[in-house]
Amino acid sequence: MKEKWNKFISAAHGSSWKVRLSAVVMGGGQFLYGSYGKGILYFLLEAGIIAYMVLRGFRDIQGFFTLGTQKGDPWLGTVGDNSVIMLLMGIFAWIIVAAFFYLYQLNLKDAWHTQKIVESGKRPLSFKEELAQLMDKKFYITVLILPVLGVCVFNVLPIVFMILIAFTNYGGDIVPPELVDWVGAANFEKLIALSQFAPTFFKILGWNLLWAVVSTILNYFLGLGLALLLDKECVKGKALWRAFPILAYAIPGFITLLAFKFMFSYGGPINQMITDAGNMATGFLDLDAKWMARGIGVLVNCWISVPSIMLLATGHLSNRDMSLYEAARIDGAGRWKQFQRLTMPFMLFATTPVLLSQFIGNFNNFGIFYFLRGGLYVDGYFLASDTDLLINWLYNLSIDNNYYCIGAAISLVIFMITSLISLVIYVKSPSYREEDTFQ
Amino acid sequence: MKKKSIALGMAVCLCVGIFTGCGKDGEGAQTVQSEQGGQNGQDSRETEQPSVVNTVFNGELERDVTIQVLENDTAVSKGYFAELIEAFNEKYAEYGIKAVDANMDQYLDLANDGPYGYGPDVLYQANDIIMQYAEGKHIYPLPVEKMECFAQVPETAWAAYRIDLEGTVYTCGVPVNVQAPMLYYRKDLLPEDWETAWDENGNKIPDMAENWNAMYAWSVRRHGENSSQYGYMKSLFDVYFSSGFLFTYGGYIFGNNNTEPADIGFSAGEAEKGAWVLSQLASTMNEECIDDSITTNAYSKLADGTYFATITTPDMYSTFLEEMILVYEEEGLSKDEARAKAEENLVMTTLPALPESGDLTEEGASFVDTKSMGGVNGYAISAYTKHPNACLAFVEFATSYDMMVRRSELLGIAPARNDAADTAGGTSQLLYNNLEAGNIVLMPSIKEVSQIWTPGETFFIDLAKDAFRPEGEKKYTDLDAMKKGLEGVDQQIYDAIFTLK
Repeated sequence: MKEKWNKFISAAHGSSWKVRLSAVVMGGGQFLYGSYGKGILYFLLEAGIIAYMVLRGFRDIQGFFTLGTQKGDPWLGTVGDNSVIMLLMGIFAWIIVAAFFYLYQLNLKDAWHTQKIVESGKRPLSFKEELAQLMDKKFYITVLILPVLGVCVFNVLPIVFMILIAFTNYGGDIVPPELVDWVGAANFEKLIALSQFAPTFFKILGWNLLWAVVSTILNYFLGLGLALLLDKECVKGKALWRAFPILAYAIPGFITLLAFKFMFSYGGPINQMITDAGNMATGFLDLDAKWMARGIGVLVNCWISVPSIMLLATGHLSNRDMSLYEAARIDGAGRWKQFQRLTMPFMLFATTPVLLSQFIGNFNNFGIFYFLRGGLYVDGYFLASDTDLLINWLYNLSIDNNYYCIGAAISLVIFMITSLISLVIYVKSPSYREEDTFQ
Repeated sequence: MKKKSIALGMAVCLCVGIFTGCGKDGEGAQTVQSEQGGQNGQDSRETEQPSVVNTVFNGELERDVTIQVLENDTAVSKGYFAELIEAFNEKYAEYGIKAVDANMDQYLDLANDGPYGYGPDVLYQANDIIMQYAEGKHIYPLPVEKMECFAQVPETAWAAYRIDLEGTVYTCGVPVNVQAPMLYYRKDLLPEDWETAWDENGNKIPDMAENWNAMYAWSVRRHGENSSQYGYMKSLFDVYFSSGFLFTYGGYIFGNNNTEPADIGFSAGEAEKGAWVLSQLASTMNEECIDDSITTNAYSKLADGTYFATITTPDMYSTFLEEMILVYEEEGLSKDEARAKAEENLVMTTLPALPESGDLTEEGASFVDTKSMGGVNGYAISAYTKHPNACLAFVEFATSYDMMVRRSELLGIAPARNDAADTAGGTSQLLYNNLEAGNIVLMPSIKEVSQIWTPGETFFIDLAKDAFRPEGEKKYTDLDAMKKGLEGVDQQIYDAIFTLK
């Protein structure tokens, strides 16, 4: 850091007045050194950002702090401030400010480099040559500039928005046209202070972890097993067999879930068969069916997720080096040994990131139990049922009640848990530790 | 170069993907922002709130405008809505006012969408939904006293649309029809000797339709004679239908006329007797009463004679009728014969009376009227409409005597107008008598009502399940246990409302 600072100070001392002009008027130095196109472009960027800030940027930043001062009244035609929009536009303004500082730094660096080029007796690149470089040496900039902008606006902005919501009182009675306020860490304090939460939280967290691990492992190995099975030469009509799981995958998840809910209901075909055989109907998903309902959830999740893993594994398996298998066979390795020593390491290496995303997806799998067994509060749980995952509980507590701020706070807690687990697993995985193995 | 072109193409595709789906929202936000910038809180129609109604509804019809109307799905599917807008458009053609189907989901979010110019101009919803919008001033208060239907609609129905805001009482909706559970039963499935053995008071109405004790006795007998047939069948989990049994014995939703969410009364009075009644009824059904199976299959099972009776809302009459017509047609009757037979055999009436003791097996019991949860559906006008007077003209037209009678004919609903209810017939009038007598407990119009469903459903599922648990495992063996269960419901609702408040 100190070294960088010293470098900056020495560059500042050694810079010409033209470079210093760039510190005031972006692109000024470049223009005076003959890089007219670039100079004008930097100037236009500066002018554009200043215009934006004057026209609305400063107002948006002010709104970011106040979150509105005028309450709307539709009956009187008073439009009023929309705190949520103000927060969103405030974040956008901050992103523009950050972008300005980044461009300002680029502009100074570029002016200084231009000075050095001129001092060494060379001619700075013309605008046309600079543009040509964007299709050659600096092609990565051309390719990445728009996606990065898109990510900033459509990914970073909503994520920051969601995080900031956790520090406001947005939700409940406070929804537009009411004005939202900043409340600091009050939502987190509320979560910690509510003693009813702790036992339910840990019960649900335990089940959530078990669910995520079991579902991920089952989905992965069943998908891989199916892919290996359909990869066998002895299997006839592979395309047809592969089509069935793909069909299951293609049907929207919630339709599948509602169909399974009906199948396992008291009036569904499974109970119909049970009662026709002279037995009592079974409550597969009812109030007392804790572990049975959990088991059905795991199986239904397999039905929905295994096809995607099968497709993924089919692709990866086709990239195997079959000579390794031949060598293993010559060395006397049986099928299990080949699977254990060749197929699994190869697949694990290639699919650990997918496994992680599956784990996170399963950890936050809202739909399964919402559709299969939603609308129940079970004894011993605070506003939750024994099959609810954290995400379902979060829904009951916050979105169902419109407490968006509390929802955002709990989401942050869930995010921290899942990111910690993912990070640990990824760092310990062969994909990270043995990156060169299959390259 | 080729690789670079591909990479460039992919980058462009990625960006296009990112930008996809951002059109309308962005535009909407832009519009609102510019409006904010333009008006900056200045009110162009600054008036005192009491005169808001007169200022907005000044009687000057906007010309050459299109108003978006959100009707309920049944009215659309049964063709009533098409008739309504056609008639309205014809009448107001000289003003260039045209009503069209808003073509939106019934479960709209006017509070969030309205300010951005989305949402209907006129909406048809239940009173609790409309009044939640009224709390946020998302719908306009209406000059109901000046409307033609005002004198014809009973005070209790208007009361469901009144709100006190900052000391002034406004009426924010126009009642169209009354919704409350009705008993549906098959006249042809009554015992052959019903007129001698099941009509104690000799009024030519079977006892099963008059009191729950007879319904219970007949259910037990019918199922006993043929194990695949049942008497009264209903999924118990549905709070809308089951809570009335609690209300009959003193239970309530919220205190102070359903306006005080801190006072939750599912266990109030002797509500446990209502739970006991439900438990006894569950014992005559099968396990399908635990989940929504009966709700789903009631139409076909009543039509094929598996069930003798069930309860649901009056607007479902036509669905039951259609199912029965289908069954009769399959039996070889012509369409007209099938319809005539179905209309003769399907009876819709108000709910039977409950025994004061809660004991459905009590001999010579004295009975009390059954209370039920209900609602008044009606029209409201969005506060974000640009054409309030044209909207009011539509509401006037849609709530006129002729249209209400037509609505009742096509949809089988109970009109909110007394004159239309008279024309429509007995059931509608009965429903009104019930409303007047306080036997229909209108759904609370405060947003906290959304928290009653899950705790209530869980309890009723548990109660239904209990009827099928082995003797040693039953949870609700006496009234005390039921009282405790209901107190648990009150607590859960309280927690859901106030824990995070």
